[in-house]
Amino acid sequence: MLIELTDIRREYQVGTEVVHALDGVSLGIARGEWVAIVGQSGSGKTTMMNVIGCLDTPTGGRYVLNGKDVSRMNDDELADIRNKEIGFVFQNFQLLPRETSLANVELPLVYRGLSAKERREKAIAALKKVKLDNRMMHKPTELSGGQRQRVAIARALASEPSLLLADEPTGNLDSATGEEIIRLFEELHGLGHTIVLVTHEPRLAARCPRAVRLSDGKVIGDGPGQDVAWQDRAQPSAHPAEAPVAS
Amino acid sequence: MSLRVDLIEGFRIAVKSLRNYRVRTALTTVGIGIGVATLLAILGITQGLDTSFEKQLASLGSSSVYVSKHPWVQMGNWWEFRNRKRIDLAQVEAVRNQCTLCEAVAPILDEQEDVYFMDQQLAAVEIDGTTGDYLAVSGFETVRGRFLTETDNESRRAVAVIGADVVDTFFKDSDPIGATIRLGTKPFTVVGTLSRKGKILDQSQDLCVIIPFGTFQGYFKGRQSIDIGIKVKSPEELEQAEDQLVGILRRVRQTPPDKPDDFAINKPEQLASTYQQLTGALYGVALGIGFITLLVGGIGIMNIMLVSVRERTREIGVRRALGARKRTIIAQFMLEATVVSAVGGALGTVVGLGGAKVISLVSPLAATVKPLTIVFGVGFAALVGLVFGIWPAARAANLDPVEALRQE
Repeated sequence: MLIELTDIRREYQVGTEVVHALDGVSLGIARGEWVAIVGQSGSGKTTMMNVIGCLDTPTGGRYVLNGKDVSRMNDDELADIRNKEIGFVFQNFQLLPRETSLANVELPLVYRGLSAKERREKAIAALKKVKLDNRMMHKPTELSGGQRQRVAIARALASEPSLLLADEPTGNLDSATGEEIIRLFEELHGLGHTIVLVTHEPRLAARCPRAVRLSDGKVIGDGPGQDVAWQDRAQPSAHPAEAPVAS
Repeated sequence: MSLRVDLIEGFRIAVKSLRNYRVRTALTTVGIGIGVATLLAILGITQGLDTSFEKQLASLGSSSVYVSKHPWVQMGNWWEFRNRKRIDLAQVEAVRNQCTLCEAVAPILDEQEDVYFMDQQLAAVEIDGTTGDYLAVSGFETVRGRFLTETDNESRRAVAVIGADVVDTFFKDSDPIGATIRLGTKPFTVVGTLSRKGKILDQSQDLCVIIPFGTFQGYFKGRQSIDIGIKVKSPEELEQAEDQLVGILRRVRQTPPDKPDDFAINKPEQLASTYQQLTGALYGVALGIGFITLLVGGIGIMNIMLVSVRERTREIGVRRALGARKRTIIAQFMLEATVVSAVGGALGTVVGLGGAKVISLVSPLAATVKPLTIVFGVGFAALVGLVFGIWPAARAANLDPVEALRQE
């Protein structure tokens, strides 16, 4: 198992109330898997992603990532883990606007402490993987949404992490561009990358080999993407806007 | 990640963000620059004054004292000084005969008078009436001809020894010895010339004509109080010599035992300490102003850095997510603050040096800036940036990456 979550709890103090964002989640994800984490707003999927991404530490339970117990690590150790093990892809790309594509992709490698030459080679290789090696010197503002997300994916790939962690990667893209990005993920999955994708879009989740559904901080569904993605259709949707468009 | 990488990367980001926010950087830089410029100009003037004053004081001679009715630096009741008994020749004689620690004793009378040679004029020249001992007391040397003799004094000869400035003005291309100059309307024959001593507080000591004491008394107001110039045998015995002088003068002036001295023993060192008292406070205030200016500049830096941290919250979140440690973020922002300040410091140094130069050109204040002062200026500015960058940098590093990434 690449990821082993055992009885993970994450509690927040909101005023006098304690909110259980994650309420005893246990989950294993094997190397090479592509898993969607789905759920409605407030289901705990964002907290889940932050915990898996080592941006947040659980208040209870055990999290073993790639053989290392990260649930009790200090801030510096977590920073190093994020750098080595995790490649983030964010909904709003999170590129540094004043840096070129190349510099953005090099960024995690800077924190790895690689030499300028090594950084450059690896970054160029990553940009080739997402077919953007012809836009290396462009700044994010000079790129389309899809291109920006591909730069972000290249940045996630550049450090050769054991896990790609994507948060609503198509959320800010039109459907055609979104499709392009999903294809890219499929391709990366085919190459053996482990991908965890957090989304509220059933259509996207349905295309993943496996999906995990969260509700009120608990796992309520775990199975093939097509099955789990539409699980909440039976219940009245609290978010009509998220309902799939019949095509 | 090593500290070396933190610093290199931090420096690169710092320079880049300075380029990206040019106007802001320029304004912040100016703030620090003004502080450093002020500080440097003040230090420059201070150093300049101190060096020139030290040199000037050395020219007065460290083993000479001057007895006068008034102290050189008067503090207190002017009337009390004015009503003191004058110093007369009998007192000079008493000192000369009784002071065993004194090597040379010269009575000095002085007056300012216009001096003429042929059709040339020098206004307000210091005319000193004294004796041969004055040479040893004053530290002058005779360059050409001779100094005054006892015969000159007794016979009240109309002879003069002239200072270097007088030589320069009147005798550029003729021989001064034997020439006739006029002090006011009275003709004098030049018998010697003096070595150059330089200036004290911008007043030349070489614009002088020395004539025999007796002659002076005959020609000018002879009833004024005499100053006694004294050279002691050894500088180490200066204090004992002073005690001896006080004893002699009190006796001969019949000062009542319960009254304080009604004369003053003036020393060049006294002048130095007075000078330091007067200017020390002034420098203190000026330096204080310089530091306050720098402080204001530093607060400007802090303000800008806080704005910068707020604006770049998301960038900080991204960097943290990609593996930057807190330490790395701290290094980045502190370096940014330090680089802005150091650039300001460098600019301020240029302006400050220029300012000091201008001041030394348009005023009698001589400003010299030691190379170390420049290092100090730039270094101090950088330090200000470093110190005032700590808090914003710590704020940046302590942001929660999750929250930071969520920031719009």
